[in-house]
Amino acid sequence: MTREDMEDLDPGLARERTELAWIRTAISFGALGGVVLKWSPVAGAVILGMSALVYLLGRLVRPAGREGTAEHRGALLLMTIAVTVVALTALTTIFVTPGGRLPLP
Amino acid sequence: MSADPSGRSEAEDAASQEPPEGEPDARFTFANERTFLAWNRTALALIVAGLAIVQLLPPFTGVPAGRHMLAVPLIVFGALVSIGSFVEWGRNQRALRRGEPLPRSPLPRVLSITVAVLAFVAVVVVLLSAVLE
Repeated sequence: MTREDMEDLDPGLARERTELAWIRTAISFGALGGVVLKWSPVAGAVILGMSALVYLLGRLVRPAGREGTAEHRGALLLMTIAVTVVALTALTTIFVTPGGRLPLP
Repeated sequence: MSADPSGRSEAEDAASQEPPEGEPDARFTFANERTFLAWNRTALALIVAGLAIVQLLPPFTGVPAGRHMLAVPLIVFGALVSIGSFVEWGRNQRALRRGEPLPRSPLPRVLSITVAVLAFVAVVVVLLSAVLE
């Protein structure tokens, strides 16, 4: 593959940089899942599962070496839902786990 | 309602006045998507910060709900940042398709103000706790 072919397939390496951004986001989910795992194993496992899903989502919407439409509204909507679910899980964790319970008056 | 000699309704006129949409340069679409992902990582960082405040800090003396006062807004704001970034991505993508200038984003200003206010609340809670100790 020549340099021109590469430039045609992935102008400015934008596709590759976006794929790396998806991987960074999946790692962020993984780190958060690891933290939550300590206090709430079930919630932590769910978030770790989401980390894998985010990684796969980044791979599936943009197969390497293939042309296709750049816009993937559904994948980004799923991502937003995942972060909102994580926020709700975190809220539940801080009110339910022993270290986070509010003291009774 | 004024009569149109061409026989077209007002809705049809409004639709015909909208700028035509086309497939934008893939590089711009990817850049928009990366910005969306960066905002979502910021949202996750806010959620982690909220969790860490409750789970890692000891309770504040004299301010029993102090940790939750800081953590709950951070976590809720994390969810709002994620939803806001999706709305922002849609607006930017529409502007790109129409070849219009990108709309101004309120997210950076809202994030700065929220973090500053929460930092101020944190200082007040820490000082209050030190006084009441």
